[in-house]
Amino acid sequence: MSRIAEWLAERVPVSGAQLHELTNEPVPNHLKRWWFCLGGTPAYLFVVQIITGILLAFYYQPSATTAYDSIAYITDHASYGWFIRSMHKWAATFMIAAVILHQMRVYFTGAYRRPREINWLIGMCLLMCTLLIGFTGYSLAFEQLSYWGATVAANISDAVPVAGRFAKQMLLGGDSYNERTLSRFYILHAAVLPATMILLIAIHIMFIRLHGVSELQAEEESDDAPRHFNFFPDHLLTEITIGLVLMILLSAISTIFPVMMGPKADPLTTPEVIKPEWWFYVSFRWLKLFSLSFAVLSTGFIVGAMFLWPWIDGALRKITGKEEISVYIGIVATLLLVGLTVWEAVVTH
Amino acid sequence: MSLRAKQIIIAILGFIFLLSLVFVQWVEVTRKQEEAGLTAHHVAVPMTSRQCVECHAKSSPGIIDHWKGSTHAVKGVGCVECHKAAPVDVDAFAHYGHTIATVVTPRDCGHCHQNEHKEFERSHHAKAGNILASLDNRLAEIVEGFREDVTDEEGNVIESLTRFNPHSPTPGMAIDTVNGMASVNVGCKQCHGSKVALEGTDGSLITVEQLKPDATGKPTNPDAVALIKHDASGRPVLSPSSWPNTGIGRLNLDGSLGSCSACHSRHDFSPRRARQPENCGKCHLGPDHPQKEIYEESKHGVAFRDLKEHMNLDAKDWVLGRDYTQAPTCASCHMSANMLNGEKITHDPGERLSWTNRPPVSAVMDTDINGKVVKETDPVKRREMVTSTWQDKRQNMQQVCLHCHTQNYVNSFYKQYDDFVVNYNEKFAKPGQAIMGALTSNELISKAQFDDEIEWTWFYLWHHEGRRARHGASMMAPDYAHWHGMYEVAERFYQELIPQAREIAEHGAAAGRGEQAEAVLAVIDEILARPEHKWFEKNKIKFTGDHAAVHEEIADGPDKTETAASDSTAPAADEEASEAAKSDSDVSDSDSSSGSSDTSSSTP
Repeated sequence: MSRIAEWLAERVPVSGAQLHELTNEPVPNHLKRWWFCLGGTPAYLFVVQIITGILLAFYYQPSATTAYDSIAYITDHASYGWFIRSMHKWAATFMIAAVILHQMRVYFTGAYRRPREINWLIGMCLLMCTLLIGFTGYSLAFEQLSYWGATVAANISDAVPVAGRFAKQMLLGGDSYNERTLSRFYILHAAVLPATMILLIAIHIMFIRLHGVSELQAEEESDDAPRHFNFFPDHLLTEITIGLVLMILLSAISTIFPVMMGPKADPLTTPEVIKPEWWFYVSFRWLKLFSLSFAVLSTGFIVGAMFLWPWIDGALRKITGKEEISVYIGIVATLLLVGLTVWEAVVTH
Repeated sequence: MSLRAKQIIIAILGFIFLLSLVFVQWVEVTRKQEEAGLTAHHVAVPMTSRQCVECHAKSSPGIIDHWKGSTHAVKGVGCVECHKAAPVDVDAFAHYGHTIATVVTPRDCGHCHQNEHKEFERSHHAKAGNILASLDNRLAEIVEGFREDVTDEEGNVIESLTRFNPHSPTPGMAIDTVNGMASVNVGCKQCHGSKVALEGTDGSLITVEQLKPDATGKPTNPDAVALIKHDASGRPVLSPSSWPNTGIGRLNLDGSLGSCSACHSRHDFSPRRARQPENCGKCHLGPDHPQKEIYEESKHGVAFRDLKEHMNLDAKDWVLGRDYTQAPTCASCHMSANMLNGEKITHDPGERLSWTNRPPVSAVMDTDINGKVVKETDPVKRREMVTSTWQDKRQNMQQVCLHCHTQNYVNSFYKQYDDFVVNYNEKFAKPGQAIMGALTSNELISKAQFDDEIEWTWFYLWHHEGRRARHGASMMAPDYAHWHGMYEVAERFYQELIPQAREIAEHGAAAGRGEQAEAVLAVIDEILARPEHKWFEKNKIKFTGDHAAVHEEIADGPDKTETAASDSTAPAADEEASEAAKSDSDVSDSDSSSGSSDTSSSTP
């Protein structure tokens, strides 16, 4: 046994103490409460997506003639195909919801402030990647709504000044949806975006390790009490519990509400109601409220502002002198997000 | 701001976000389930019907299953709501604590669906049962089956015998007598509707005629009610000669007309099914009015078959122009709502018809207050009687057409259609009617129908071929308008009706009825002298002469026979030969072949 350990230590020169140091991030006390530990859920779900995604990729054939039928095969014939597909779809919904909740927590607690501005930027990049991977994944289904959703999205992209037309052509592989479009979506969805996200998540975690988790001190805590506890085993146990509850929830919802097949994409028949997936409801409703160019420009402005928020927040605090100005803006933004999403969900047009 | 305050803000906003997410997902899942056609709607079994559902789920599970798929089930309309009856209703009986009736009539449906009931009642559909004393019915009762009327000395029918005695045994089945009206019951009445009858204790049948119901549907003749036979469980016995029946013009015991289940199949009452042409095809098909086949041949039917899955057939209101535009079905044009008529549905298909092509001669659909086609010819009187003009009705139909066609297109279509109908009316229908009228009024054929060959000929001409032609034109099915229609009308007219009428006249003349025969032949000649018929006999080669002499010629030798035969079969005889044949015919006698004789031949 010791010979094996020796052999291994020679080839992987990391000592037990170093390993302990590397993994045992001192965890701030507030993370003893489970509801502060949700930052890990997007990562957890990302792993679920990779596993279920690989299983789905065994069967999926990304071309206009075969895509729909291959998904129908997964759903109706492949063993547990319907379950894997449902897990993949519901995990996507959960993941986006978890990312938004995580970002809300970071925002309202001001965790993006100096010195963590760069990690906020990386988080924003992850958010964009998550939305994009959701969009490309939905388009792969080649159902009426996903097909027309993609077409509408491409046309919206076209309205973006300067780079819009190029972006559209890059996305669709031409001026309109064609037989080469699906393979682009597929490569983006199954290779480019996941690889980018893995890289970004690694940097995101690396920055957390470098800066440490931002610490929140509750009023009732005395200043001299220990401010940290061990990652292993205390915090890991909490994470495992959360992960298990998440898996139970995910598999239950996938079984009760399995994903079904919508009508197959028909480029000649525009459906009366075109809807994107729910995470784009907010921007879709925004689009319908204003002219296309205004909506596109304002969306670009809002996304830009979100990226630069740590600095905008700093400037606002300086100008107004109010420390918590961002909280009030955040409340309005969240209510707007919820309101527009629900609005789009309930109307047919 | 304290950390606690921020925690509360995050908790509240997070909760709102999650709640909205659950709601959005619920909406999404419901929408996708609907899209996939998997929406299992909630069934609300009302307390009053709980026992019915439990018991019938075992004894007749199909009925319960069908009902569970209906909108009634969702809205809590159960068995009792439709089947309940008042104790005074003649067909009512006690059934596990409820007083119910088997037959649900439009009056029952009308308790909730008042407008639909009113529209239906004034429709031609509701009056379809009136056929029971018509020509078609005589065909099925007497010609196809068995009915013998026993009359008194004055010729009044005192009894109709309809029990048919088989002439030989059916091995394996003990049969005494069968109903001679079987063809009517199984054929005519299943579309047109039966006169619902209860069996009487004296063997008679008790119908709406004997019961004389008042305006509320309650019987006013206690003697007839007292005669009703009940089975061991106390249930009035419905005569199998009239029930089961879902004919659209059924004459119900409560005095109401029709049957809603003719189109809205009973227990599930599927609107989806009623919107599809197959539903109408139960009755509107076949040799005499192949509307279903005509529709299938038309561009409308072809588009429907192709695009059916996009037609949104499950939509709540199914409004043309909003819920679908792919193709029209029978319902789209004749009944359903559309964007241009203010989304108004009608249960009177006659509201959109400008011609009636049912009778021998088509008439425009000027209708009176009772919805009957006005036959008055005096313009002033006619104007007084008409409450709804054919132009109104055409406009109603054009509102449907205009969803997919321009006004110019629609106007030109109607011009083609009008020309076609008038052409049929004037060239064949009215002349045919005149010839048949002349034969009957001159007593060269009997008044009884279908005992003379020419009556079958005339019936085929207008009832089968004439309708096919007109319906084909009305619904843009060229093959039905022409080959199955006008071609056969023309062939029947020239090759059968005219020769048969002449032959009857000649036989009449031979039997000493010269004057009457001459009157009939005068009618025929006047018709054939019209410009549109001139072509028929203008160039015809006519053969005359003594038949005996021809026989002699044949007996004399082959050479002469050949000459005679080649002459008689020459199809392209030149002008001279034709003229000669004509002059020959002028001196022909009554022995000459019937097809080529003219008026002079009728003089004995």
